[in-house]
Amino acid sequence: MGDSDFAYGSSLSVDSMKTIAESIGIASLGDDAAKELADDVTFRLKVIVQDSMKFMHHSKRQKLSITDIDNALKIKNIECQYGFIQPDSLPFRFASGGGRELHFVEEKEVDLSDILSAPPPKIPLDVSVRAHWLSVDGVQPTVPENPPPLSKEAQKSESVDPISKLSKPTNKDAAGKPMCGKAARLKASESVHVKQLATHELSVEQQLYYKEITEACVGSDEGRRAEALQSLACDPGLHEMLPRMCTFISEGVKVNVVQNNLALLIYLMRMVKALLDNQSLYLEKYLHELIPSVSTCIVSRQLCLRPEMDNHWALRDFAARLMAQICKAFNTSTNNLQTRVTRLFARALQCPSQTNNETGVGPSMVTTMKESEKTPLASLYGAVQGLAELGPEVIKVFILPRVRWLGERVEGALSGLGGADRLAASNLKHQLLKVLAPVVRQLRQPPDLADEYKRDYGYLGPSLQQAVSKVRSSPAGGGGGGAVAVVTCTPPLVPAAPSPSHHAHTSHLSHTAKTVETMATRNVVISASPAPQSPAPSTPPPQKFVIVSQQKPPQINLQQTQPASGPGHIVVHSSQPTIVRSQNVQSVVVTSGPAGGAAPPQKVVVVGVQQPHHLAPATQASILPAASVGLTAAHVSQAPVSVVAKPVFARGGAAPPPPELDDLSHLA
Amino acid sequence: MGEKNTPLLAVLQLLRKYNLKGTEDILRKEASLGDVEFENLDLPEVELASILTSHHTESDPYSYEFAYDNLKKFVENSLDIYKHELSTLLYPVFVHMYLALILYDHNEHANNFLEKFGPEQEDYYQEDLKRLSIVKHKDQIKGNELAEIYSTNKFVVQLSRDASSQLKRFLQEQKSSTVIINIINNHIQVDVHDGPGRTQAQVRSTTGGLLGEATRNENRTKVYYGLLKEPDIQVLPAPVEDEEEVEETPDKPKKKKAKKEHIFMKKPKSDPNAPPNDRIPLPELKETDKIEKGKALREASKRIQLGPESLPSICFYTLLNSGHTAICTDICDDSTLLAVGFSNSTIKVWTLTPVKLRGMKSAEKLIDIDREAGDVLVRMMEERDRDTCRTLFGHSGPVYKVAFDPFKTMLLSASEDSTVRLWSLQCWTCLVVYRGHVWPVWDVRWSPHGHYFVTAGHDRTTRLWATDHHQPLRMFSGHLSDVDCVQFHPNSNYVATGSSDRTVRLWDCLTGTQVRIMTGHKSTIFTLAFSICGRWLASGGNGELIVWDISTGSPAALLPPMHTAPIHALAFSRDGTILASGSLDCSIKLWDFNAISEEANGEEAGGATTTVQKEDKFLLRSFATKNSPIKGLHFTRRNLLLAVGSYEGSS
Repeated sequence: MGDSDFAYGSSLSVDSMKTIAESIGIASLGDDAAKELADDVTFRLKVIVQDSMKFMHHSKRQKLSITDIDNALKIKNIECQYGFIQPDSLPFRFASGGGRELHFVEEKEVDLSDILSAPPPKIPLDVSVRAHWLSVDGVQPTVPENPPPLSKEAQKSESVDPISKLSKPTNKDAAGKPMCGKAARLKASESVHVKQLATHELSVEQQLYYKEITEACVGSDEGRRAEALQSLACDPGLHEMLPRMCTFISEGVKVNVVQNNLALLIYLMRMVKALLDNQSLYLEKYLHELIPSVSTCIVSRQLCLRPEMDNHWALRDFAARLMAQICKAFNTSTNNLQTRVTRLFARALQCPSQTNNETGVGPSMVTTMKESEKTPLASLYGAVQGLAELGPEVIKVFILPRVRWLGERVEGALSGLGGADRLAASNLKHQLLKVLAPVVRQLRQPPDLADEYKRDYGYLGPSLQQAVSKVRSSPAGGGGGGAVAVVTCTPPLVPAAPSPSHHAHTSHLSHTAKTVETMATRNVVISASPAPQSPAPSTPPPQKFVIVSQQKPPQINLQQTQPASGPGHIVVHSSQPTIVRSQNVQSVVVTSGPAGGAAPPQKVVVVGVQQPHHLAPATQASILPAASVGLTAAHVSQAPVSVVAKPVFARGGAAPPPPELDDLSHLA
Repeated sequence: MGEKNTPLLAVLQLLRKYNLKGTEDILRKEASLGDVEFENLDLPEVELASILTSHHTESDPYSYEFAYDNLKKFVENSLDIYKHELSTLLYPVFVHMYLALILYDHNEHANNFLEKFGPEQEDYYQEDLKRLSIVKHKDQIKGNELAEIYSTNKFVVQLSRDASSQLKRFLQEQKSSTVIINIINNHIQVDVHDGPGRTQAQVRSTTGGLLGEATRNENRTKVYYGLLKEPDIQVLPAPVEDEEEVEETPDKPKKKKAKKEHIFMKKPKSDPNAPPNDRIPLPELKETDKIEKGKALREASKRIQLGPESLPSICFYTLLNSGHTAICTDICDDSTLLAVGFSNSTIKVWTLTPVKLRGMKSAEKLIDIDREAGDVLVRMMEERDRDTCRTLFGHSGPVYKVAFDPFKTMLLSASEDSTVRLWSLQCWTCLVVYRGHVWPVWDVRWSPHGHYFVTAGHDRTTRLWATDHHQPLRMFSGHLSDVDCVQFHPNSNYVATGSSDRTVRLWDCLTGTQVRIMTGHKSTIFTLAFSICGRWLASGGNGELIVWDISTGSPAALLPPMHTAPIHALAFSRDGTILASGSLDCSIKLWDFNAISEEANGEEAGGATTTVQKEDKFLLRSFATKNSPIKGLHFTRRNLLLAVGSYEGSS
């Protein structure tokens, strides 16, 4: 025990005594008097605090409260301090400055008339008693009323240091099954430490749960899906099922990317989101499955059947956000997660000139260069989005140097014929501008000259310049300042990029796979099946909405304006802010969007929270292919379900029936 | 009063005490002490003694450090067999040196002394040292609880004969250790025992009391820890057939067997440990009580046999929206009612079964009832006006303990307002207010046979009451600090108390004397529980849990400190095989009490030694709750464990 943590005597200082004296009008308190007072007050305060500890203990609390002090004063026959009632503990504020440190209690001035005019506060809820089973024959059931069997810290330490699990004495904690019968006796008699085999079998209940959850998550009933995701995000005690859940997700992504099943991919990503949001789970052990799945959904060349129609961009955005969340939560100095993810995306953005500069990659350099030249625009979009979510520094280092090349690609695609490509290019351009503008604004000094921008950033320069100046002036609300973008005519280096389906898929696949291999030994599946070529409309496709949240009022609005866009609707639940994206803003009537006739593609963010039930049935029916059902069935059948009715109360005669457990959701 | 005159005044006081008038006059004349100071002769006895014996060293504060250092070296260099016993001397010597330095105004030195040697004292004394360290001036000694206890009582140190002779030799050899000799003479009682020196673990198991260990001869009185003969099972009309039925079943529960043994032991001397049934006058059982007892027996016959391989199910009652306001809980013996005392002075009673709580009819209506009717008890209750929860108002301070009587017709509550109230569970009103305690009452318990109850409070006393007397029948005083918890022995003849002075004491209700003092706790004792057989006493403090053998007063088992917060609930299963402990750390732990008592018995046979349990072999299971500190535990008659806690939010 060091002397430092051994404080026998903290005491009030002479200075505080003087300050207090001044505050009550005694201007000059002598040093001796102050010292004497400080000592005495310190002594008395300590005695009172020591006595109030007794009251705290007898109130069966571990936090000292004001009433304890009052009671301690009472037993000293001192009038207690009235008017200091605080239901909870007092938050001490801390301030320092001028070499002084000060702890104080924040006291707000209260206007009495405000209190009087305010509606009377709610009557606090009355105390009530709820019963649940803490243990049934020595086994703790995993119900929401009980704490999760394995705390997040334990899961974390286990994944970081697996040996700790073995060195721990057999779990006397409530988790798992009790050691009894033969096992216990064996253990008592043998001192040899045998490595505990991990148990991987799930109980019947858990198997049923798994089946229900996975079916609901990819099923057609939006209400059930919401419940299932809620369960995934909130339930404690899922950690035993985590390996299976993660496998389900990763296999599901593999299959559905090949089949270009956008809706299912979205559902799977929402499962990932729910698992990430679950406070009682620690996912690090399963990142090797999750990250390839998520990154597939970001950079895959094709995620939907009709790239020119369906809004796979939202999925890429959503997955990119997930990836950023994963990086934020699990990045450590040992796994270098963020570095590796960044590298993955950066490789996708590799432009030829830089590839040449980088040395030592190997003899396949030339082919790599050519392939990356052909990286589909959708993948580029995903990579940009993935990097953008990782923060401005990443944008500065990895996206900005490649703007010129990216601009060339965009330009090439825009001038090309493929409708899908043009859409992709405009999306990419828009995204780039949106992402880069704040960063460039920080980097460059105010005089934004279009020529300089063009020199530095190539094709995208002028648009970027506009965007930057817009950002700069945005607080003032002014427009772009009249600098009309000069339409540049830099010929694209590559002849118009062919539409994705004409690519040599194999080579591309190998490239992406290689980049991912650094992450884990799993392949990111990038769509390899040629999409059925729908005739590319020369005009931008009709309006589409992706609503990435639960919302009500705007939707009615939208439906009225675009009754014909049924097939284009995708409804996605999440806690993310709602994004309603519309291309070709001809007839949109969105409350907040300044819909000009010739406005560029714009995003309208609508924040709303409500169930979209009125929308759901029509749209889902059109989205859900039959494949999803087959997939679920296939996965569920992996877990052998043998329904054996397990008697919950083995000793029915002795124990009374379990008390009624109704919904204790407010306990959770 | 002049500083120099203090010793003279002390001598004067001494002379006056022994009534040596002539000498006193001469001294008065010589020292030219006026009559004015005559009234000032009110030095406390101990201070007086220390002044008279050590005033020649008082002027030299450095000698204290030196002397303490010497003593420490002596302890460290002594043989291992004496070392641990001798090391118990260090703390009291240290404390009294500190107080002496304060007393002689060497405040700076006292502070240095504390900072130098304080941290190396045993960890369980650190809390005390912190409390003592606030005394920085000799005027403060008087007002400080701890310092007063130290200066007015003797600290008990147990030494083997060899160790004490070692100590004597050391004290004689060392010229400079007059300070230590004074302290040992005045403030320390060395209790010499025959036999070999104790090991570190043995010493540690009994040290920790505010005033050291218990002396040997304090625990010599015989304690009748056996159970009383159950008086009147044959009288019961209902359970007779039941009993036959029970005798046929092979796995008959233990309590039954115990009772049968008692029936066999009709010759009084056969159970030497049971007190005579009339040692304490017990109340006659009423007709309703007999019915209740019959029910209990029938229930008991359906009891599950618990053990390490068949753990009890736990039903947890969560008090929602209670925050920190719920303080204490109790569940009545047949597990149908739950009472909770709140910090806002109210008591709430819930029914745990579908049977609603009913009040009694008003007096006018009661007159009309035929008192001879067989169902008079049912008829006198109100038909309407039923509720699942009733609130009792009356106290004017936090309610620290509620307790149902064994026949669930009455409820006792103890409160901060220093009163104990008796409530009727039929009228739902307060019947009696028992005033007697001066300060807050911390605990109240019924006798297992009803009628008597016992209270403990901040005024350091424990009081035994009968419900029909407004004044206590007995007062047990002797604890040096608050009596925090109290418990009746199953045979109603004894009362156990646990206190902030870190001792557990056992009192005889008949004589009112203290028959056991048990030291070994290192923190305040918050809860006590007697085993079903009456021989063992479990006590829970701040994370520690000790089982005592009350036949000898020695610790039978020191359970490993698995709890990280104060233990406020202890319960033995009805067959006495499982001990459940509930703590503020939001966990319930189950201990294998069979193994504990067997081991304790085995040790006794093998030489009466106790050892600290290093591994957790007694711990069976631990169950965590969701942020709900456990405030009460109760085994139903069928051995289902009920636990009560209040949910404290997810902060």
